[in-house]
Amino acid sequence: MIREHAARVRAGEQSASEYVQRALARCEELDKQHSFFTVITREQAQAQAQHIDKQVRDGDDPGPLAGVLVSVKDNLCVQGVETTACSRILRGYQPQFSATAVQRLVNAGAVIIGKTSMDAFGFGTFNQNVGLGYQTPTNPLDASRVTGGSSGGSAAATQALNEFAHVSLAESTGGSIECPAAYCGVYGHCPTYGLVSRNGLISYANSLDKVGVLACNPADISLVMQVISGPDEQESTSLRASPQAGDVETVGVVSDAIAQAEPAVRDAFASFVKTLESKGYDIVDVELPVTSKYGVAAYYVLAMCEASTNLASLSGLRYGQEQSKKDISFNEYFTRVRSKHFNTESKRRIMLGTFARMAGYRDAYYKKCTQLRTHIIQEYEQAFEKVDILLSPTMPTSAPTVDQVRELSPAQMYAMDRLTVGPNLAGIPHASVPLKLPDGLFAGAMVMGWQLRDEQVLRFTEGCQ
Amino acid sequence: MEIDDALIHKVAQLARLRLDEEEVSRFGTEFQEVLDAFSVLDEFSVEKDDRITIQPVQEQSLLRTDETAESLSQEQALAYTQDTEDGYIVGPRIRK
Amino acid sequence: MNFDSDVVIGLEIHVELNTKSKLFCGCATAGSDTPNTRTCPVCLGHPGSKPVINEGAVDRILKLCKALECDVADALVFSRKSYFYPDMSKNFQITQFREPLGRGGTLRLSSDRQVGITRVHLEEDPAALVHPKGLAGSQYVLIDYNRAGNPLAEIVTQPQITSPKQAREFLNALMRILSYIGVFDSHAIIKADANVSIRESGYERVEIKNITGFKEIERALAHEVSRQRQVLRRGDSLVQETRSWDANRKTTAHMRTKETEDDYGYIFEPDLRVVEGMRARAKTINIPELPFQRAKRLVKEYELDAEDAHVMVSEQALADFFEELAERADPILSAQWLRRELLRVLNYADVPVSDSPITVDHLADVLSLLADKTISENTAQRLMELLIEEPFNVKEYVETEGLQQLSASDELKKYCQVAIENNPEAVKDFRSGKQKSLHYLVGQVMRATHGQAEPQKTRELLLKLLG
Repeated sequence: MIREHAARVRAGEQSASEYVQRALARCEELDKQHSFFTVITREQAQAQAQHIDKQVRDGDDPGPLAGVLVSVKDNLCVQGVETTACSRILRGYQPQFSATAVQRLVNAGAVIIGKTSMDAFGFGTFNQNVGLGYQTPTNPLDASRVTGGSSGGSAAATQALNEFAHVSLAESTGGSIECPAAYCGVYGHCPTYGLVSRNGLISYANSLDKVGVLACNPADISLVMQVISGPDEQESTSLRASPQAGDVETVGVVSDAIAQAEPAVRDAFASFVKTLESKGYDIVDVELPVTSKYGVAAYYVLAMCEASTNLASLSGLRYGQEQSKKDISFNEYFTRVRSKHFNTESKRRIMLGTFARMAGYRDAYYKKCTQLRTHIIQEYEQAFEKVDILLSPTMPTSAPTVDQVRELSPAQMYAMDRLTVGPNLAGIPHASVPLKLPDGLFAGAMVMGWQLRDEQVLRFTEGCQ
Repeated sequence: MEIDDALIHKVAQLARLRLDEEEVSRFGTEFQEVLDAFSVLDEFSVEKDDRITIQPVQEQSLLRTDETAESLSQEQALAYTQDTEDGYIVGPRIRK
Repeated sequence: MNFDSDVVIGLEIHVELNTKSKLFCGCATAGSDTPNTRTCPVCLGHPGSKPVINEGAVDRILKLCKALECDVADALVFSRKSYFYPDMSKNFQITQFREPLGRGGTLRLSSDRQVGITRVHLEEDPAALVHPKGLAGSQYVLIDYNRAGNPLAEIVTQPQITSPKQAREFLNALMRILSYIGVFDSHAIIKADANVSIRESGYERVEIKNITGFKEIERALAHEVSRQRQVLRRGDSLVQETRSWDANRKTTAHMRTKETEDDYGYIFEPDLRVVEGMRARAKTINIPELPFQRAKRLVKEYELDAEDAHVMVSEQALADFFEELAERADPILSAQWLRRELLRVLNYADVPVSDSPITVDHLADVLSLLADKTISENTAQRLMELLIEEPFNVKEYVETEGLQQLSASDELKKYCQVAIENNPEAVKDFRSGKQKSLHYLVGQVMRATHGQAEPQKTRELLLKLLG
C-alpha cells in the first residue's frame, strides 16, 4: 500500500534512495525479459529519491506520495525524458514541460522510474502495435500471452512490481487502461473525462483521451487520483467540478455484455455478481441496446478522425525524426518522413480517419457518430437514473496468446473493444477489478458510475476486494 | 460502400502517405472489412437537429485572460531540429 | 449575386487582431522580430501541448460582429481545417467552419450604399515563411513561428462589389471601422482572397488567392478583370478556377481547377469546449459610434457639408480633433482648416493625426486670431508650418514676433505713403483711370509688410491718400 510506504519515507523509517535503488534493479531485470519500459529513468529517479531523503532530513515534508514509485505511459510528457508515445517518428523528442498529472505526482513526492510501453499512439488492444524498432512487452503472468493494450507496459509493470509501492500513470481512449488491467490481473481506473488534465498527453483522440491510474489495489488508486485530479488552466477541457461520492444500493448488470463474453469469463463474472448480491446489493439487469450495437463503430470513427488530424503534425519538422535534406517539395518531404516512420496500424488509422472526414463521407461517418455519441451518453444517463453502479466484464476474454492475436484481422481486433468503448464514449468513470480464473489467468469486472461519480466507483471497488 | 484502389490512393495522398502495391491491396481488403462492420451505422437514423457531442462532459468553459506569458528562448525553440539557419527552422520548399 | 453589374467581386479578408497574447497561448503577438523568439510548445505544435482560448480575441471579434451588424451565434465553436503546408505548426488550422461567430452583416460605405457581410470568424495565423532566394529560386524555406497563432479575423463579403475601385473603398471603410472599434493596429497586414466574375462570361467565378496589402488588392482585381476580358476577346472561354496573385510580376497564375479543390476534412476541435453565451457577452460589449453614424451626426450637429463630414470621420483621431476644436472655434472654419491645412502639413511631415504635434489648443488659437483679423490667412498658414516643426504658444509667438496684421495703424499708413512715393508711374497711371495700378500698389504694400497688411484696409488707405 503506497500510503503506508509514503508514511515510512516521511517518517525517515525508509530511505527513498535505498528503495529506489532496489526497485530500479528489479525494473532492469524485468525489462530484459518482458520489455515493459521504453526508458528507465535511472538517474532522474535517483536524484529525486536523494532529494526526498534530504527533505526528510531537513524536516521538510516531501508530500503524500513521498518515495512512491511511478511508471508513466510513454504518451505522457516528462520534461527532459524521451517521450515518443512508443513511435519511431517521435524518437529523440524530449519535452520542454511535464504533463500536469506527472508534475502533480512529482510535487507530491513521487519518484518517476520510467516510461512504459504502449501501442504506438495508443493504437491497439493488445500492445502488439508498438512503434518500429520497439520491443513488444509480454504478460508477466505468462510470457506467451499479450499484456493487453494500449497501456500494456503500465499494467504489466504494475503486476510485476507488485511487491513494491508502485503505481502506473496511464491513459485510456477506448479501453486502454481497463483491458491491460484485466489481462495482467491488476486494478485500473479511468476517470470521468476531464477530471485529470490532458495537458502534456500526446493526443490520440482528444475528446476521448483520459489520464488514469493502474495499481495493485483500489486504495492506491484513490490516493493518486486525489493528487492528480482537478482543474488546469492550461487545458480547456479539464473540469472544475469535483468528483462525488455516493452510497451504492442498486447495481445494474449489463446483460447484453455478458452474452458477448467467453464462458470462463462469464462464470468468473457471475460468481463476482453473486458475491455482491450476498453483500446485500440489489442486482438488476440493464440493457444498453444503442451502445451495444453501435458503440464500436461510433468509437472507431470518432477516434480515427481525431487521431488522423493529431498525427498530421508529425511530418518531420521542428521535432522528432526528420531528414536533413529538405531541398524537395513539401508534399514529397512530408510523405517520405511519414511513410518511413509510421508503423502499419498508425497508417491504417490515419487512412481510415482521413477517409471518414473526407468531403462526401464526412456526414455519413464523422458527423453521424458525433450525433450517435449523444444518444449513447443519454442511454447511460437514463440507466444511472435507475442504478448507482453498472457492471460488466471488462474484456470478453482473458489474455490471448501472441499467436492468437496475430490471426485477428483489424476489424476483429477493433471488435475486441466492444465492452470498453461504451463508458469511454460516455466519459464516465470506470474501474476494472481483477477476477482470478481457474487457469491462473485473469478476467476483469468493470465497475461504472455516472459522470463525476469517481469516488463512488472507487469506494465500491474497494468494497469488492 | 465499395473500396477500390483509386479511393485508397486518394486517401493516402490526402494523408501524405506513400503505399507500396502490397500495402494498397492489403489496406483495400482490410478497409472493406472494417467499413462492412461500420455499415451497422446505416441502421441508426439520426434526426437532422440531433445534438452533436464534441465533449462528453458538459461544463462552461473558462477563457484565458489576454496576458502574455514567457516564451521559449530561440535556443529552446530550435532545440529539436538539426536543421536551422540564422534562427529559422529549415523546411521543405513550396514549389514543385 | 448582383447581376446588374458588369463586374462582380466578393472578398475574403484576413486581418490580425491587436491582442497582447496569441489566440491559444500566452506568447506575445508583437515585440522582438528575431525569428522564433515568441514561441512555446502550443504555437510550435509540440506533442502534448493544448490550446486555451484568449478572451481578448473573442471580445474583439464580437466587437467586430456588432460593428458589422452581424447576427451573433450563441456558441463559439472551433474546428480543425486540415492541410499540409510548411507554415502550419500542426498541419491543421484551428478555425471556424459551419458555425462562424457572425453572419448576415452589413458594411455601410455611405448612407445609400452598403456591402453585405456573409460571415465573420476567428482563426489562428500560420507561421511566416522566408524564401532565401526568392519563391522561384529557393531550394528550401526558412520558418519563423513568431506569428504562428496570432488571432486573425476573417471577414467574407457577399459578391456585391462592382469594381476594383469599389473594393478599395470597401477596404477603406472596413479599416476605418476596425480602427474605430480599436481591434486592429493600423500597421497590421491585411490579406485577401477574392472571387471575380464579369458579365461577358456569364459570371464564371475565378478565385484569386494570396493578395497581401491594401494597394495590391485593387491592383490584383483590376488585373484580373482585364485578363478575363482579354480571354473572352480572344474567343476563349473562362473556367472556374483558382489563381494566385504574384505581387512581383503583377499578374495572376493558375493554381487549380474546381475539381481538385482541397479537401480540408473538417472536424470539431476536440481540445476546446464549445463556449456558450456569446450573445449575452456581446451585449455587454460597447462599441463606439461608427464612421457613417458620426458623419451623419456632424452634418446635423455642426452643419458641415457631407463632404467635409466624410473627411472628418475618415480617421477617428481627426474626428475627435474636430469635435474638440468645434467647441472653441467656428465648426465650419474648423473643418475647413483641418481638412486643408492640418492634413496638408501632417501629410508633408508624414505624421498621423493621432501623433500630431499641432494640438487642439494650437489650432483654436490660430483660428481665433484669424477670426478677429489679428493675423492674416498667410500668417496662419505659416504658423501651421512652423508648429509642425516645433510646437509653441501661438498667441505669445504672434506677439513677440510681431505677426499681427497691420490694419488701421499708423504703421500701415506709413507703408502706403512709401509705396506712393516709390512708384510715381503707378500713381500717374491710377490718376489717369487705370484701376489696375491700385492693385499694383496694394501688392507693393503686401510685399513690404511680408503679407501682414490686411488687403482690404490697405486698399482703403491707398485710395484715401491718393485722394
